[in-house]
This record gives sequence, C-alpha cells and structure tokens, in this order.
Amino acid sequence: MELKDKIKLSQNVAVFSGIFCVTVALLLLLNFWQMSKSDPTESKVIEALVERLKQEPNNEELKAEIRNFDLLARKAYFNSQWQVKTGAYLLLFGAIVLALALRYYYSLKSKIEVPDTQHENEIASRILAQKGIIIVGALVLVLGLGASFATVNHLNYYDAENSVAQAVPTPEEEGIEVIEVGENVEEADTKSEQEQALQEPTPEQSQPVETSAEKEVDSGVNENEEKVVKKTEPKPSTAATSNNFFAEIRKNYNSFRGPLAQGISYSKNIPTEWDGTAGTNVVWKSPIPKHGFNSPVIWGDKIFIAGADASSREIYCYSRADGKLLWTAKADNIQGSPSSMPRVTPDTGLSASTLTTDGKRVYAIFATGDVVAFDMNGNRVWAKNLGVPENHYGHSSSLITWTNKLFVQFDTNRGGKVIALEAATGNTAWETVRQSKISWASPVLAEVDGKYQLVLTADPIVAGYDVETGKELWSVDCMMGEVGPSVAYSDGIVVAANEYARMVAIDIKTGETLWEDDMYLPEASSPVAYNGLLFIATSYGVIVCYDLKTGEEYWEDDTGSAIYSSPTIADGKMYLMDNDGVMRIYECSKEMKKISENELGETAGTTPAYMDGYIYIRGENNLYCIGK
Amino acid sequence: MHRTTREPLRDMEKNNKSKNRREFLQSGVRLSLALALGGVSGLSLSKAIKDDYVWQIDPFACTQCGRCATECVLNPSAVKCVHAYDLCGYCDLCGGYLKPDSNARTTAAENQLCPTAAIERKFIEEPYFEYHINEDLCIGCAKCVKGCTSFGNGSLHLQIIHDICLNCNECSIARMCPSDAIKRVKASEAYNIKGDWTKPTI
Amino acid sequence: MKKLKYILYTFAFLLLTVSVYAQQQRFPKPEFDSGYTQPSTITPEPRALQLEYFDVLILAIFLAVASYLIIKKRSRRGILWLSVLALLYFGFYRNGCICSIGAIQNVTLSFFDATYAVSITALLFFVLPLIVTLFYGRTFCAGVCPLGAIQDLVIIKPLSLPKWLNKTLGLIPYVYLSLAVLFAATGTDFIICRYDPFIGIFRMDAKALMIILGVAMLLMGMFIGRPYCRFLCPYGVLLSWMSRFSKRHLTITPSECIQCKLCSKSCPFDAIDYPTNEKEVVKSGLGPKRFITYALIIPLWIAAGVFVGVKSHTFLSKANPDVYLAELLISQPEVKNDPDNIDVQTFLASGKSMETLVEEAEVIQDKFYTGSMIAGGFLGLVIGMTLLNTVVFRKRQDYEPHKGNCYSCGRCMDYCPVEK
Repeated sequence: MELKDKIKLSQNVAVFSGIFCVTVALLLLLNFWQMSKSDPTESKVIEALVERLKQEPNNEELKAEIRNFDLLARKAYFNSQWQVKTGAYLLLFGAIVLALALRYYYSLKSKIEVPDTQHENEIASRILAQKGIIIVGALVLVLGLGASFATVNHLNYYDAENSVAQAVPTPEEEGIEVIEVGENVEEADTKSEQEQALQEPTPEQSQPVETSAEKEVDSGVNENEEKVVKKTEPKPSTAATSNNFFAEIRKNYNSFRGPLAQGISYSKNIPTEWDGTAGTNVVWKSPIPKHGFNSPVIWGDKIFIAGADASSREIYCYSRADGKLLWTAKADNIQGSPSSMPRVTPDTGLSASTLTTDGKRVYAIFATGDVVAFDMNGNRVWAKNLGVPENHYGHSSSLITWTNKLFVQFDTNRGGKVIALEAATGNTAWETVRQSKISWASPVLAEVDGKYQLVLTADPIVAGYDVETGKELWSVDCMMGEVGPSVAYSDGIVVAANEYARMVAIDIKTGETLWEDDMYLPEASSPVAYNGLLFIATSYGVIVCYDLKTGEEYWEDDTGSAIYSSPTIADGKMYLMDNDGVMRIYECSKEMKKISENELGETAGTTPAYMDGYIYIRGENNLYCIGK
Repeated sequence: MHRTTREPLRDMEKNNKSKNRREFLQSGVRLSLALALGGVSGLSLSKAIKDDYVWQIDPFACTQCGRCATECVLNPSAVKCVHAYDLCGYCDLCGGYLKPDSNARTTAAENQLCPTAAIERKFIEEPYFEYHINEDLCIGCAKCVKGCTSFGNGSLHLQIIHDICLNCNECSIARMCPSDAIKRVKASEAYNIKGDWTKPTI
Repeated sequence: MKKLKYILYTFAFLLLTVSVYAQQQRFPKPEFDSGYTQPSTITPEPRALQLEYFDVLILAIFLAVASYLIIKKRSRRGILWLSVLALLYFGFYRNGCICSIGAIQNVTLSFFDATYAVSITALLFFVLPLIVTLFYGRTFCAGVCPLGAIQDLVIIKPLSLPKWLNKTLGLIPYVYLSLAVLFAATGTDFIICRYDPFIGIFRMDAKALMIILGVAMLLMGMFIGRPYCRFLCPYGVLLSWMSRFSKRHLTITPSECIQCKLCSKSCPFDAIDYPTNEKEVVKSGLGPKRFITYALIIPLWIAAGVFVGVKSHTFLSKANPDVYLAELLISQPEVKNDPDNIDVQTFLASGKSMETLVEEAEVIQDKFYTGSMIAGGFLGLVIGMTLLNTVVFRKRQDYEPHKGNCYSCGRCMDYCPVEK
C-alpha cells in the first residue's frame, strides 16, 4: 500500500466510525428520553386502571387490559435497559476505532514540524500571565465574596423564632426540686384518698352521704394544698400546682377515660338502669352534626366532643343541663394543615382522638395532625399542625393535659415521639423521641411518689415520661403489633396489653414485669385497674377480671358482642359499653356479678363519660344524657 | 560573540556554585516533602484498618423512600430487595406481594405490588406461601418493603448486593438517603440481614 | 474455670431466648408439616480483600515499570502500552474506583472524622504515587493513572495554549483541591468522585450529564492535551509539588542538548521550558524590584483569601445536606406540608427535633468557618506564589521539561535526535 492509500483508508475508517458513533449516540439519547418517559415504577396508566378495577372488581376485560399493559411496560423497560447496555458497548467500540483511525491518519500525515524561529516572547507572555493571574485570583475572591453576600444564613433566624417557647418552661424546671419537700405529705394524702375511694359507697347509697364524702375528699385536698403551699412558700411549686390541678380535674371528667385517663370517674350516684329506646331515665338526647369516634369530655356545665368529615373538622360544646348545642368551632385555616385529607379507614375516621380540657381551654387533635385550642366560649386561642401523622388507619391517640401542658402521643409509621405543648400558647415545651413504632393508644397519667408521669404504650415499648421535662423515666420492651389499648394504672402497677401480643403487668418503680398472660387480649378497649382488680374486654366480647397483683383470673363473661369501648369504674362499679349500644354494669368484685344491662337503642363504640350522677354517651348520631 | 577564556571559566564557576546551592535547596525541600508525606501517612496509618469498607443499608433505619432505585450510579440499582426468611410469616395475604385492597390473592398483574414482577410467590402448604426475590428483575424500588414493613413482619428489606455494587468511594445513594440508612461497614460483615423484628439493642 | 464458662454460656443462652421471645413478630413463622426447607437469603460476598491488595500490588508494579521506562529505558512506546494496560485494568476492569485522586478525600476524612478509619489500600493508593513522584517525576500520570491514560490516548492534534492561559487556568486545580478537602473534612461530600468526568465511561453507565461531560472532555482532549490533568486534577497539584523537587526526572535528551529545537513542538501540554534570554530579562524590568513587590503582597493575598473564606463559609456550608435541610425548614416552613419532599417528610417523621437538627447544622457550619478560612488563606497564598513565580527567572541554556507540569509521557524523548 502506498502512503496515500493508507491515508485514504484511515480517513475512511475514521469517517465511518465517526458516523457510527454519532448514530449510536443519538439512538442512546432517544432511548434515554423514552426511558425517562416510561418508568414502570411510576406507571400512571396502570395505576389508573387498578383504581378503576377497585370500583368494578369483577371486570375481567379490565383485568386483561391491566395485564397487557403491565407486560408491555415491563418489556419496554427491560428492553430499553438492554439497548442502553448494548449501545454503550457499541459506542465504546466505535470510539476506539475512531481514535485509532484518527491517530493513524494524523501520524501518517504529520511531518516533523519546523521549529519556530521566533519563540513566543517570554517576557510579554509572563506579563500577560501576571495580569491573568491577578484577574483570575481577584475574580475567584470576588465571586466568593459575592456568593457570601448573596446568601443568607437561615440558621441565625432559628433562635429568634423559638426563644419564646424555650423561655417558658425554665421556671417550672426549677420548681421540680421542691416536690421532694412535700413528698411524704402527699404520699400520705393520696393514700388516704385512695382509702376513701375504696370505702366509697355502694350503688344503694343515698345522696346526702355521697355529698358528705365528696366534701371530705375536697377538704382533704384543700388541707393537702395548704400543707404543700406552706412547705414551699418561697416559690410556686410544681407539687402544689399538680395537687390543685388534680383537685380541679377530679371534680370534672376532662379526658378520655376520665381524669388522668385511668378509666376512673370520681363521681357518685351514677345510674344503673335506663332504656334508650323507651326513654327511661334519658334526661336528654341531642343530635351530633358530624361523625367521630371520640368520647365526650366534661368541664363544669359543658360537654365537648368533636366530629369531622372530608370537608371540615369541628368541635361541639353542649350544655350539660339540657343538651343544647352551645357552640360549634371549626379547626380550619391552620398553617401547615394538609389540603387533602389523609387516608383513613372508616372504623377510625378523621376524628378518633378524644378532646381534653383544663377548664380554661379545650384542646382537640385530628387525623390531619391539626392541634387546636379554644377557650370555653369557642374562641380559638391557638392552632398548629404537627405534620400529618403517617397512620394507615388514622391517628387516634387522645390528648391529655396536666397543669399547663398538653400532651400528644405522636407515634406514627415514621417512628414515635411524645410532645408537650404549652397549653396557653401551643408552643412546644418539650419533645421526646421514643424508640417506638406506631400506636393508637392514648397517654395515661400516673402518680409515683408525688410526681406525675405520662405512661405510653406502643410497639415495642411501654414507657413513662416525666411530665415536666419529657425525660424517659423507664421503658420496658414488651409490646408488639398494632397497639390500640392504652395502659391501666393502679397501685404502682401498669398493665399494658394488645391483641396478638400479650398482657404485661409492670411495676412502675422498678420496671420489673410482675406477670404476663396471653389468654384474653383486648384489641381496642383499654384495660382498667381498680381496687386490686383488673378488667379487660376483648374485641369479640369476652369481659375478664383478673387479680391486678398476680394476674390470676377471677371471672370471665362472654357477651358475644363486639367491644371497642373501654371499661370505666364509676361509683365503685364497672361500666362497659359494647359496639351495639348495650351497656353492662358489673360489680367490682372477685365474683362475677352483673348488675344490669341497658340498651341505648343506637350503636356506640365510644367510651361514655360519668359525672355527678349522670352518664353522657356518644352514640352513632346522638349524644345522650342518662340520669334521673 | 567572542569571549575571552577567563569569562566562561568564571561563568562556569558561578554556575556550579548556584547549581550546588540549588541542588542543596532541592534536596532539602525534597526531604521535608518526604517527611511531610511520611507524617501524613503515618498519622492516618495509626487509624487505618486492614479491612476494607463496603456500603450497606441499615434495614431498621430505612424509610423506603424509593431513592435507592434512582440514585445508584448503576442502572438498575445495586440495591435489591432481600428476603429474611426467618422473619417471614409466609402469609397468604402478603403486604409486600399484593397491592393494598388487591382484587384477588393471585399472581395476576393487577394484584402484584412489584412493578417488575420480581417477587415469585410459591404455594407451600395451606395457608402458607413462600416469597422469593428474583434479583435479576428487582430494581430496588422498595415498594414491597414498604408493604411488608407496614402490614407484615418486615422480612422483605433492601440490601446492597455486593457482587453488583461497584463500591464507589462515596456512595451516591448514601448521600441522598433521607434517613442516613446507608453507612460504610466492614467488608467482613457486609450485610445487615434482618434477624429480628426490631433492631437489636446492643 | 471450665465450669464457669459453661455457666456463663447457659446464662447467655437463656438471656438470648428471653430476648428473642420478647420481640416476637406480628405474624409468627409457621411450622410446616410438608417438610418444607426454608431457602437461605442470598448474600454474595463483596470483592475479596486479597484482590484489593492485589490492586495495590498492580499499582506498585505499574509505578516501577513506568519509572523504569521513562528514566532508564527512555521508551515512549513502552509507556504508551503501559498506559493502555492501566486504562484497561484501573479504568475498565476496576471501573475507575479506587483511584489515587479520590483517595485524597479518604485520607482527609480520616483526619477529621473520628469514626472513620481509612483502609490501608486507599492510603497506599494515595501515598505510593506521591513517593514515586518525589523520586522519579510524574511517571504515575504517564503510565498508571487511567484518567490520564484515556486523555493521553485521544490526543490527536494538540494545540499550544499561550503561556498566560496555561498559568491562569492552572489555578483551578488549587481551587478544586481546597474545595475537595474542605468538603471531605466536613463530611459533606466527595466532590472529586462525584464529578469524575471519565468514571461514567469506565463503568459504561452513569447519569446522562456525567456521560456528556466525559465525552465533551475527551472531544476537547483531542485538541487540548489532557484538559482534566492540567486544569482540574486536584491530585496533580500534589504530584506537581513532589515532581518539582524530584530526585531524578525525565530529561529530553539522553546526554548533551544540541539546541536543535526539534523537541520544542513535541509537548502537547506546553510543559517544555525554553532557554532563557538573559538580555530580554534584564531589559524587561521584571527584575528584583518586582520580585520584592510581589513577595510583599503575598500576605495581602492571604489576608484577602482568609477574609473571603470566612465570608463565604455560609454559602459553602449549604452544600451539606444537613445544613441545607435545616435552612430549608427555617426559611420555608411550608415545605413541611409538601408530601413529595422526601427529605423533609423523613425528617419530620424521624422524631428528631428541630433543635437537634439546627444544633447539628451549626456544628457543621462552624467546621466550615474554620475550613473555608484555611482554604481561603491557602488559595491566597497560591495566587501570590504563582504571581511571584512569573518574575523568577531560572537560568536555562537548554530545552528542559518543566518538572512540575511534565507528565513524563516521553513524547519529547522521541523527538530528540541525540543518541546516547
């Protein structure tokens, strides 16, 4: 071959491989564009078709269509992947040939170049280089400076926003130490209170006795207050506020499952016989505008419930005297509230969490993560969104308040935490991350040695938190599954249970497991402990009574109906509503003694409220007041 | 350009002198550079480990965001779903295999959650089914993992498969992982296969 | 003693069973009647550690061979084939990872992150080329580095860039290096690896943008020799320092230069220094006076650099994902409601409090404060020194390779007509 031919050949090879490379590259780009359009993981078409199939579950044609589409999409995806791989190798091969051909071509063509007679002027180029360096150096610096001036350090703005929230809790933390001073007194007093509660009259007891008992209790509390106040005169103590607060709430029924959420009402003279359909002993009955599975809470002469649907979330205030709807307040226009409702199941709904009130304000939380506070006249005080809780049934943990804080158990699919908000402002007082998964249970307040703690149950831990600081005081790894029932607490024993898991009794001071059992387990209904006894109700209707200390089973009663509502102790008796609206009343004793069975005439899954001789029941559509 | 004989001599002398000086300087600098290098390597050697690092996902930290499928430098991703059989309940109604509210519990396309049909469902005995991941098809999108973790035991979970992973110096998924679930682990313990339902607390 | 051990084991076993029991799963594993055997989870082993050490061995061998070929054998052809082998092994076989350039970051991180210990392989990849360079010049660039090799092989018709452009663009690697070290030290990112233009080609797979960058770099490399090595490579900065003071370095001519000027056009990288014209130098006025001026303003450059570094630390810290997230949440709290923002949603669900996030971000920002201050000062120093360098004249009678910039590719040796 002549040199000329070689040059020609290499030139041709170069041109061909060049064209080849460009073509492959273009095809790859096309493929890339196609691939970005058809991602099997985000196929909108199939998604839409499947949605349609849900509406018409027996449409065979539709099924066939989905299968076809799915096959096509997957084929396209894997094909295009294969194409990319092959294309890339082809491109590489082409590029190698091109590079070789070009090199060969240029090496054949190249002659040894005649060296320049005149070099680039060294000095001139150096002067230019100096200028270049100065300019580029300055440019780099100026650019850096410009960027620094153009950017804002947002972190600096953080403290300003939150200084208020952080400033508030400090004085109270100082007060904590004082508790130890008043400890003995308090312990004694609470003991006496408990004794009184134990001796509390049986149903037959008449009005005058009852009021005197209440007075006694009241005076006891007052004495207690005085003593504590005396001991801690220089500063307002947490113990004193705690006692004041407890005295206040035990006169009311301010939370889900009563004051402290332990499932115990401190009221007397609760009726045991009525008939919802016939109207016997029904004082009033009032329709509820919007549905919700939350239970009534009461303060003074007002009853609060909430309801929600996709369009709005509302809080209702009823008059205790006549059942009149006093006001309706909407939880709307909350910053951060999602525009579309989170997906919830119909048996949980958007408003499953029960409200709570401290007599100054009433607080509500919805499945949207909206927390809102209204004053007793329905004026909104504050509202905030905690972020939509990721919960495949719907958020259902109820709120609880203690002294000046509002507690939110926020266990979601993304992990658990417990948040304390300043009751007056809604600012976060503390927030504690929990080593837990999702839960539907509600917080319970428990008093240990004069200090109050928040007891939460979830998968996998049952744990106590200091109400003032949020510090995790103890934690026992024993629960699992989708925990619905809240804990029972009495005599220093916490009982947590969940269906498909187990029931565990824990000593709150040591964290030691006292006993456990898995024969009967509740699914939604929370256990209640009282007077050395423990009551549970399974979702399939078996009511079981255990010994709180040993776990020994005393009796069981198979009612045969579904039960989601929680047993409550009122007037020394155990009241339990089933989902069909039948309320059964048992004596709190080691032998099974059913006192009565009363029909509401309406389905009800919520837990009624018991106060001052009356029962307030939320049925499917109506609010009832039962009494004489 | 005629020079006297003395001048070049002097020049040479001068050259030699400056050359010597320069050489001396050079070797001095060389020595200090060598020392600096030695210092740097010695310092990091004091911490260096013989084992190599690889990247791996902590299945308990993973939030199944789906980025593993898209952020890996490889396509399809080196992250695949693995099945910790010990943890599996062998359910018929499998949250990882079936779409939520699926039409029927069958292998039909309209019921499968996996977009690439990478999970194979095999009947074992009434009412149990085995689920097996076909890794050639799996793209690491974590849809099944999400389903299994929310409704099941969480036996399906993501792992970086090391015969595919290129072990980049900086894993591009790790950087994008919203829950910082991807960490360097020692090559001798290259997998975090779930052994238990909850994270072992050690 | 044995007994004690036995008791301990039993105890441990009991504890274990209890804890297993305590963490039962939602749906317990069934007991099969049909004799079903459970398959095992597939966990393919990662690349064996021995193979990683084999890489180091290959690196050492390649370095030795490259140095031998350049210094002793003076063979351009040999170094060419060696670079092809290196491209195949470190590039296409090892997919461009592990590489010495990226190892800078591993070494840096090991100094600043207490939890991170550099692996010996990465450390050796970082140190070995530098040591060899300190003795024999940048033979690593010529025959071992896959990034250098791929660029060297596509050089077709290199154009000579004017000196001022070479010098000014030569500042970029310093910027790149200081940023890379800053980001690695703060645990933010490994930018060298993330923006490696050729790794996509080695892997035959990458994000479209990186492939385009790589191909563009290669296309440019046909006419501008080794653009990445000259104007970007951060490792090149270190190699250049070493090479300047190397004990032995490639020489164009095996014995005496005959001033034939044949080599003057041979270098595609403009790394050959010409003989100095003393008369011109004297005439130019770039004498001691200017040297003193430039030397005196070096502190000014450093001060300016420190100032700019301190000022821009907030800007730079935004590259850190944690800082970015914290700032995003503070400046745009409404993102909390954006269900598509995975980072924000994951953070909100993690239960981590905003306070902790902000605290962490502030710690990182503090690191950036110190880091960018040092980086700025370093850049100022580099600018000042480079400027000073332009007025330093070294007496040269012959055509010589610039020891810092020469990649020891050996092209010039081919051009030299002088026989040994």
